[in-house]
Amino acid sequence: MTVFSLIIINKAGGLVYQREFQPGLRKLSTNDYLVLAGTFHGVHAITRSITPKIPLPTNPNTIPSNSSSHSHQPSTSSILTTHKPSPSISTSTTTPSTPTPTAPSSTSTPSTTHALPIPGTPVTGLEVLESDKFRLTCFQTLTGTKFLLFTDPLMTTVEPVIRKIYELYADFVMKNPFYQLEMPVRCEAFDRHLGGWLRGRV
Amino acid sequence: MVVYSFYIFDRHAECIYKKRWLPRPAVVGKSRANSELPAPTNGLPAAIGQSDRTTDDDAKLIFGTVFSLRNMVRKLGGEDDSFVSYCTSQYQLHYYETPTNIKFVMLTDLKSPSMRVALQQIYINLFVEYVVKNPLSPTEHPGGIGVNNELFEESLEQFVTRVLA
Repeated sequence: MTVFSLIIINKAGGLVYQREFQPGLRKLSTNDYLVLAGTFHGVHAITRSITPKIPLPTNPNTIPSNSSSHSHQPSTSSILTTHKPSPSISTSTTTPSTPTPTAPSSTSTPSTTHALPIPGTPVTGLEVLESDKFRLTCFQTLTGTKFLLFTDPLMTTVEPVIRKIYELYADFVMKNPFYQLEMPVRCEAFDRHLGGWLRGRV
Repeated sequence: MVVYSFYIFDRHAECIYKKRWLPRPAVVGKSRANSELPAPTNGLPAAIGQSDRTTDDDAKLIFGTVFSLRNMVRKLGGEDDSFVSYCTSQYQLHYYETPTNIKFVMLTDLKSPSMRVALQQIYINLFVEYVVKNPLSPTEHPGGIGVNNELFEESLEQFVTRVLA
């Protein structure tokens, strides 16, 4: 297994940590890494917002009415009535292919007229990016910090590695009393343990 | 597997073709036609504004995304590296770029395999055959002129519904 490098981006999109473990990717200047972190932060948000939405057939008025304007009035009222997640939505639907989301999951979608491709799963941004030469796995913590791990595309199990890195981050960065939140990570113990653990896995 | 949408962008960053497939047969329609619905002006709920945004401006957002990611990949992996795909918890995006910088983008569900070959086939067997070799089609396609011909649209529809389904 080959881990090329690790980047940690804080919740504001700033680069707080960058380290190369094995050669394989091009070296960038510090400025370029900062730009990359900011760009990725933005792209991550956009990839979440372009999640395809599957229209629910709850209000048949809206679907055939493409041209006539008078039928917009009932559609408006039916949308408004379906706005509160009533159980009648899921019972009245006849969906052969996609299941309707459960009522609580509709809080993640802005409107109840659309369903997510995978209902019940929270919408996330980019998680895995693949290119010819590397695979980028992004893990976002609950507080918005993003861990970007660049690995070999053939490496299959990235998840445990990124979990362990998160654990080391929690232990040696977050528990460091001198670490200032959202600031660049300069913790010797973190560097040492990270390097040691990844070397041990090779 | 499910294909949600398909986009072609030319080298001037313009979306020259977009097509969305929705799992519901009642609402299958051309996204271009949908986006030209009478714009909601007065107190229509946010749901309609939302769908309006997704049909028309999604292409711009998707272009921005793939453009940024492509540049990022090239910066890190070198000039000969190419961005292939990404996935989120909900969907997958596949990307293929021709040597002439025409970008093919396809959004599918998570169960689909790598679509790089499929996108390449769409380029070789459909785009080149029906758009590039069409003597009536202009070399550039501003606003989708030349791409929105019947043969291309129909064969794309067939390809997605029969070959990929």
